[in-house]
Amino acid sequence: MELFDNLLLGLQTALQLNNLMYCLIGVVIGTAIGVLPGIGPIPTVALLLPFTFGLAPASSLIMLAGIFYGAQYGGSTTAILVNVPGETSSVVTCLDGHEMAKQGRAGPALAIAAISSFFAGTVATIIIVLLSLPLASLALKFTAVEYFSLMVLGLFAAVILAHGSVSKSLAMVFLGLLIGVVGIDVNSGAARMTFGVPELADGLDFVPVAMGLFGLAEIIANLERPEVRQVVSQKLRDLIPSLRDLKAAFPAMVRGTFIGSALGVLPGGGAALPPFTAYALEKKLAKDPSRFGKGAIEGVAAPEAANNAGAQTSFIPLLTLGIPANALMALMIGALMMQGIQPGPQVMTEQPALVWGVIASMWTGNLMLLIINLPLVGVWVSMLKIPYRLLFPAIVLFCCIGTYGISNSVFNVWLMLGCALVGYFFIKVGVEPAPLLLGLVLGPQLEENFRRAMQLSDGDPSVFITRPISAVLLGVVVLLLAAMLSPAILRTRKRALAE
Amino acid sequence: MTRRFDWPDLLFGLFLIAVSAGTFAATWRLAGGTAADMGPGYMPRAIALVIMGFGLFFAGRGVVRGTALGIERVQARPILGVCASVGAFALLVENGGLALASLACILIAGIASRETRFAQLVPFGVAIAAGSVLLFVKALSLPVPIWPW
Repeated sequence: MELFDNLLLGLQTALQLNNLMYCLIGVVIGTAIGVLPGIGPIPTVALLLPFTFGLAPASSLIMLAGIFYGAQYGGSTTAILVNVPGETSSVVTCLDGHEMAKQGRAGPALAIAAISSFFAGTVATIIIVLLSLPLASLALKFTAVEYFSLMVLGLFAAVILAHGSVSKSLAMVFLGLLIGVVGIDVNSGAARMTFGVPELADGLDFVPVAMGLFGLAEIIANLERPEVRQVVSQKLRDLIPSLRDLKAAFPAMVRGTFIGSALGVLPGGGAALPPFTAYALEKKLAKDPSRFGKGAIEGVAAPEAANNAGAQTSFIPLLTLGIPANALMALMIGALMMQGIQPGPQVMTEQPALVWGVIASMWTGNLMLLIINLPLVGVWVSMLKIPYRLLFPAIVLFCCIGTYGISNSVFNVWLMLGCALVGYFFIKVGVEPAPLLLGLVLGPQLEENFRRAMQLSDGDPSVFITRPISAVLLGVVVLLLAAMLSPAILRTRKRALAE
Repeated sequence: MTRRFDWPDLLFGLFLIAVSAGTFAATWRLAGGTAADMGPGYMPRAIALVIMGFGLFFAGRGVVRGTALGIERVQARPILGVCASVGAFALLVENGGLALASLACILIAGIASRETRFAQLVPFGVAIAAGSVLLFVKALSLPVPIWPW
């Protein structure tokens, strides 16, 4: 069986001692930043990117992936104990998790969150294995025309499913595309919008852009608000949930996993949508919906399972098609390109050890997280005692060093500062910066494929609708847009995202 | 003020218009080419055109829509503190060395918050600066001087 061969190959890579170590480093860092509110996985991954340059491609991706799903675990700890979501994905966990903690059941809440996450992570890994091969073989038939349409679909779907105003997010995608074309034009060698700055000839590095928009701008905005942080102080003794708890949580866990897996594959599904949907479904299915918000264990199990499953399956479009589902996956593409690997369906056949190694490492990583999170939960709670006034200068410094380190250029540090100001402006006018990053990363590929497609068709744009696969992809885009304009869906979306 | 504006929309729209206009100004020398054989100026101008459209739409909506939406007041201290801190790092890192740049970065960043206690921040900054030198220069071999001499 090809499938088992692949899995075996993946496990071989993932179980190498050094890869296990990088996986551990990744999940530990991930848990730490997940626990700490105010710093998310995007700036962290951006910060570490320059230093993964010296690692083997598989090791670097394994570590960065670990940061991402590790952050989902850590975020729930803070949500349950402090009622502050450590990450956006754990907003829903606050509702019932913190209630449970207030009732003195913090132990079981943490345990159920960790167990649900582990269960979901394991199932999601299997789903990735099952879906990857057929998707990748389909993608190998793609030409520039299909690729262009696929990227358009990816960008649109990411915008529509993510939170925030759709029209503003679309505008942000185009802004990202625009700064993506800065640099020397590959076909003609002409410098575009470099303003005579030699550092811009190779295009804008996305690390300074990401760190400025997400890291520094967030810090500036956070500092304007007074700090509120109250830890529920109680002994975390009874970590083992009762059989009754497990029985109540299990079906919710399974449903959450499947919702999360399905939504995670969709571009933009990423981290925010799955837990909300799972929570809403549990509430609908429950015999007594009024228990929710008052410490219902299903309200912890389902969203936790969903967010972990979603975090992992969002790797599917990246690994099989080379298309990022969200801003974090865009950074992963950057990590691949830094290693000299052009993302796309060919990666799966050319670098099987890398792809399957990363997939298998998710399982080992989840196992590590279970151990890191349950017995060691006290360590993470004590981290919450570090006040933000000490934390943020350190984050500013790490952003500076990381940005400088990517190509030893002071120019990048200034660029990051500029992006921080722009990012602060975006926060003030209420626009999500994530779509910009997607546009920036996909921009050059999109232009390249569009140009190639137009060359093939002699400048006839109808080629995008006469080719069947491309037509279907673009049809989905039109459907999505039409659906967005219908008032009924607009209302449910608003409710789902606001709840 | 007599008229009420939706400020977030209006400002975002104006920002997009400015970016788009800037793009046209920066690329007007580049050849556009045709759709079948695009020149280097084709894509930037095409994208800028779309952005211009979005900009006009938001700016227009911000003016027309009668709902007055303000923007949370901008506080000078966090912005100035963080900017000065990053600027100090950029100016110092190559000539002053990483140790000095790190310490300056942390201490100046402290200005950004009202809650900073410098008696606490100074030893913390020294420790983090030392840690950064060890981690980034010694362990991860980032090629940057440690000391100004």
